[in-house]
Amino acid sequence: MKLWQKIFLYTLILVMLAVGVTSILLLKNSFSMALDQKKQGVYNEHEFAVAGFKSMMVTERLKENAVVLDEKALAGFMEEAFGEEGGGGIVFFNSDGGQVYANKRMDFPEGLLGAARKSGKSYMQVYQNQMYVASSESIEGKTYYVVTGHDISEVVAMHEDMLKRILAVSMGCAMGIAFVLLILVKILLHPLQKINEGTRAIAAGSYRERIPETGKDELSELAHNMNQMAEAVETNVRALEDVAENRKQFIDNLSHEMKTPLTSILGFADLLQIQKDVSEEHRMEYAGIIKEEAARLRALSGKLMELITVGQASLEYRREDMGRLFEEIGASLKMVADSHKIAFSCHSEPGELRVERELFKSLLYNLVDNAVKASEEGGSIRVEGRFADGQFQAIVEDEGVGIPEEEIGKIVQAFYMVDKARSRANGGAGLGLALCREIVSLHHGTMRFFSRLGEGTRVLIAIPADPEGGKP
Amino acid sequence: MIKILIVEDDANIAKLVEATAAIGGYEAEVCSDGEEAFERMEHGDYGLILLDVMLPGMDGFEIMRRRTKTDVPVIFITARQELTDKVRGLRLGADDYIVKPFEAMELLARIEVVLRRVKRTDHVLQYGDITVNLEEHSCRRGEEEVYLTPKEFDVLSFFIRHKDVAVSRERLLAAVWGYEYEGESRTVDIHIQQIRKKLNLKNRLVTIPKLGYRLESAKEQQ
Repeated sequence: MKLWQKIFLYTLILVMLAVGVTSILLLKNSFSMALDQKKQGVYNEHEFAVAGFKSMMVTERLKENAVVLDEKALAGFMEEAFGEEGGGGIVFFNSDGGQVYANKRMDFPEGLLGAARKSGKSYMQVYQNQMYVASSESIEGKTYYVVTGHDISEVVAMHEDMLKRILAVSMGCAMGIAFVLLILVKILLHPLQKINEGTRAIAAGSYRERIPETGKDELSELAHNMNQMAEAVETNVRALEDVAENRKQFIDNLSHEMKTPLTSILGFADLLQIQKDVSEEHRMEYAGIIKEEAARLRALSGKLMELITVGQASLEYRREDMGRLFEEIGASLKMVADSHKIAFSCHSEPGELRVERELFKSLLYNLVDNAVKASEEGGSIRVEGRFADGQFQAIVEDEGVGIPEEEIGKIVQAFYMVDKARSRANGGAGLGLALCREIVSLHHGTMRFFSRLGEGTRVLIAIPADPEGGKP
Repeated sequence: MIKILIVEDDANIAKLVEATAAIGGYEAEVCSDGEEAFERMEHGDYGLILLDVMLPGMDGFEIMRRRTKTDVPVIFITARQELTDKVRGLRLGADDYIVKPFEAMELLARIEVVLRRVKRTDHVLQYGDITVNLEEHSCRRGEEEVYLTPKEFDVLSFFIRHKDVAVSRERLLAAVWGYEYEGESRTVDIHIQQIRKKLNLKNRLVTIPKLGYRLESAKEQQ
């Protein structure tokens, strides 16, 4: 059963019960009041009849001049006194319980006489639309019991009539209440329906859906909480989707980067195998291409291994003196720069920084490698380290070809190459900067690029220096 | 001679495709930029386009969407293996789809199938004094008609089209009997023997150990 149906039904039952009980109680009260009134009248009537008869007896005895009138004579007088009366019935019993006289047939309850006899006073009982009064009277020296019956059907009829009316009125009321209640419940629970619909939509996957928050009751609170939940879900789902999308992109690019050299290797090897006469010139060319592409694959797999092992291998962070580390890195990079006839300088302010030695070296190697590839003969590359603002800053600067402004945001993406042909010619795999980004983020640092086409590129790396290890 | 436009941004792969096309006797031009390729497709007179999907300038799908010369057959050459890409490529009107890395013979076979479908192949093949007419399905040696079974005919024309190339039994099975054919390589050997006997090609249709067979150029024999 739906909530609105439950609320509606239970409220309706309770209201009906309250209305019914109240009206029945009221009715009962008024009935007993009417009955009390009637009782008084009936009692008076009984007294009056008996007293009237007694005094008549006295007069009669005097007239007859008898000492005592016997039962038979009494019955005759009773017939005389009550026989013609059209009113209520009257019955006389002697003390043995034998009927002396009855002016009409009466069905009074059995216990009535006994009760009157026991109490010795008058006794009253209502039975089948009749009110009976029994009393013991001493007449002519003997005890007689008198029972009078009085019609009260009028009062009972009135009571029944009122009962019917009240029933009709309460039915009418119930209908009215039911109608109003239905509308009220529907209006009050309307937001719940909205929440229900909204939640269903969210559950079905439309995480953008929001539930309207109206009013300030618990339902709007619920809606608000639901919305917060939906937002959290949406954020998480989007993050997961991003991760999945990035991974898919990476795999796509990786497979493309692997298939391109493989195609050349396989294809040229195939040509060398199936052709009958390959000229010396072609043989050299094909073999050269196969070697070149194999080298490309080797570079790719090497870089890929590096990228995978970063963050997975047991990394050892130690305090290193930057002055000495830069000197060491500079010495091996100088040879690379020299072979390309590029001026090279590498210095750092002395001071300790907590780094993973091998990763940090790899970071600078990769950046300088990029700078070398971007530079022409006679260019210059400068690597500098310094402590400033609680950070260690490393700058790698070249005077090479530069990076187009709109591409700067993309260059750290794996496999992104600004100039594919140029990178390939230099044996680049497009993974160097992705690796650098990983290394910098492992050191909780940032990496920024400033570049102008044809003028050169400056890479700025900032790694937070720990409190006691900053500038000496 | 049929002219093929090779659109490929990787220089080595372009060279590979060009060399492979040369084996099949096709003239080839190479283009490495998407937009330039589109211009050349629109204005040039090519019998077939070999189109890479990932291209600088304009990608292969975009070129397909924009092109107006839709009667020129196109074969996509791409590293992307996903079915959606394949369907997308074919729906855009490509005639076939070949995934990198591929073998030279596979590319040649695909080119031939596509060209045959659009009827751009020469229908008369010449090898020494042997003339094969693909439309009449007839084979002559000099003036004399030689009767070949349909499969023998297909095997012969395949070899004439790929002179001086070592063809493996598997490749031949795939090309002549179809890719689904699960026949034994013995079948190939029997057909080769029949062809050798009927056309007296014992010395020219030679067995290459571990590889397959090769039809040597006619001029070498002369």
